[in-house]
Amino acid sequence: MIELIQILIEGTLVGLVYGLVAICFVVVYRASKIINLAQGEVLMFGAFLLWTFTAGARAAGYDLPLPVALILTGIACVIFGMVMERAIFRPLIGQPAFTIFMAGVALLILVHGLAQLLWGARTRGAPVILPEGALSFGPFLFNTRLLIGAVFTVALTFALHAFFTRSRFGLRLAAVAEDHTIALSLGVSVRQAIAVAWVLSTLLATVAAVVLLSGSILSLEVAHIGFKALPVALLGGMESIRGAPLAGVIIGVLEALAITYLDPMTNGAASGVLPYAAMIAVLLIRPYGLFGWRKIERL
Amino acid sequence: MRPTGLWFDRYNAESRVLETRRSRVAGLLLLACLAALPFTVGPWLLGELTFLFITLIAVYGLCVTVGMAGQINIAQSAFVGVGAFATAKLSGMGVPFWLCIPAAALITGAVSVLFALPAIRVRGFYLALTTLAAQVMFPIIIMALPMAWLGGLVGMPVVAPRLAGVNLGTTTGLYYLALVLVLFCTWAVFNIPRTRFGRALRAVHDNDTAADVMGIPVARIKIEAFFAGALFAGVAGALTAYSLQFVTATNFTLFASVWYLGMLIVGGLHSPLGAILGVLFITLLQEGLHTIGNMALQTGGAGGTIFALNSVVLALCILLALIFEPRGLAHLWTTTMTAFRLWPFPRT
Repeated sequence: MIELIQILIEGTLVGLVYGLVAICFVVVYRASKIINLAQGEVLMFGAFLLWTFTAGARAAGYDLPLPVALILTGIACVIFGMVMERAIFRPLIGQPAFTIFMAGVALLILVHGLAQLLWGARTRGAPVILPEGALSFGPFLFNTRLLIGAVFTVALTFALHAFFTRSRFGLRLAAVAEDHTIALSLGVSVRQAIAVAWVLSTLLATVAAVVLLSGSILSLEVAHIGFKALPVALLGGMESIRGAPLAGVIIGVLEALAITYLDPMTNGAASGVLPYAAMIAVLLIRPYGLFGWRKIERL
Repeated sequence: MRPTGLWFDRYNAESRVLETRRSRVAGLLLLACLAALPFTVGPWLLGELTFLFITLIAVYGLCVTVGMAGQINIAQSAFVGVGAFATAKLSGMGVPFWLCIPAAALITGAVSVLFALPAIRVRGFYLALTTLAAQVMFPIIIMALPMAWLGGLVGMPVVAPRLAGVNLGTTTGLYYLALVLVLFCTWAVFNIPRTRFGRALRAVHDNDTAADVMGIPVARIKIEAFFAGALFAGVAGALTAYSLQFVTATNFTLFASVWYLGMLIVGGLHSPLGAILGVLFITLLQEGLHTIGNMALQTGGAGGTIFALNSVVLALCILLALIFEPRGLAHLWTTTMTAFRLWPFPRT
């Protein structure tokens, strides 16, 4: 029983990290109607930027204090997000979904290749930002890093939800997510919305990288988290900020259970396949996700 | 656009793909050159050409699913892998190759239908994501299955194809096998748009709501589009298995799928000609980068850098094609040919 509850706790905490990455997907979609396939790569790029300003700078002889390094990383992320928007997605405003999807695929390879060119393929230690160790409540252990991340994810969810549903600016972004052409004709700047979406999601992805990687290993494989979080975003609904962490918890708990109970029987395949099987099941049963917008097609 | 002075008095003549006598002669000459090639060039070039033909068959499949039906498929490499593993398994059981290849195609088609089933409920982006799931799940499942089934982590050996006592597993034999199959696939892919099925694909591609209203069974056509594309992938997979002689799940990655899509986009989505031009262009580019990379290796560069450079160049090709010439090289080809025909008059 205690083991089961411990598994549920770990699944929930890891699931909230998935939720945080899924929020990055949702933010881009909610403000620009683009599913950014390269989200995992963006996260990896952010992590490498952070490494550059902390461990990398130290190795080069500039020992920056942590707050300064974080601010520099933030600035670099904003620039990175703006460059992606300006160079790739602004010329494609109003193009069909296929074009934008392929641009996302191309961006995925581009960022992957660039990261490999700039930082090389070798693995390295990720900088320690959040405290290590575990808190114990009775017989249960909570990983401190994931716990801080979980609290942050929940707080962020409410803040972003309020932003997108209550503020004037957030509602304007929602109009862009509904339809580029209609948004333009109503005087909403699609360019501005997409720029905001990219900068915001790049920053969030870097925060997610901090929670996910702090003190562990940083390599090009980190980007796989993007493909793990995509089913989460779909399950929650691409338009729903609040759905993402909830779906993350569902997938995280299911995955933790599969690792413990199914993996010994299936050679370790169950936990790897599970998120995608869940995704296909969601698409068949409820294509718009748990809390997504239900769209009506008209001729 | 047809050149001036070309008219037809029979329906047969008009429905030909190669309309003029000159184009038919040129096609025959190309065919003769390709057939005579093994007598003049070395095994390296033959191997490269076989690989090019295999890639072309896989991209033809994408041309049907993505270009004609407008359904995004980023699992083509996984489907090629399914075909390859099916061939490895069947050839190990002693099935002759002329039965292996169609069987591999059908098995791949059946697997693709499994992942196309969500088409009943979803469209666009979401359908693309199920193919992404197929691509990600493929190596996990292959590696987790028991060793005796599909080789697990190690992989599977492939028994070389034999025809009437002649071993076709040599470089020359594989070249001819690939040539025959690529010709068949070319014939098929150029004719699909002219069939009833092809017109249904076109209608679904242009507007699936409108196609539905006109009485086209949209979900079924989408599933059939995936099936048709996967048939090509299965053939490509069988050839891959025969030419590699040993298949492992790591040969069929997401990156390969993206390369296939990239070739199609750079070449042009809307005609099979685009597939040919795109495969030629990207393969030449890759070879060029390999040569540069080898030179860099000899002067003391790193292998990983070349791979990274490769992917950066591919990504830039796709992005440039999407932003500046979404109709691809095929459109450039037709406009150039038209301008050439109309010269010295300005283009229409």
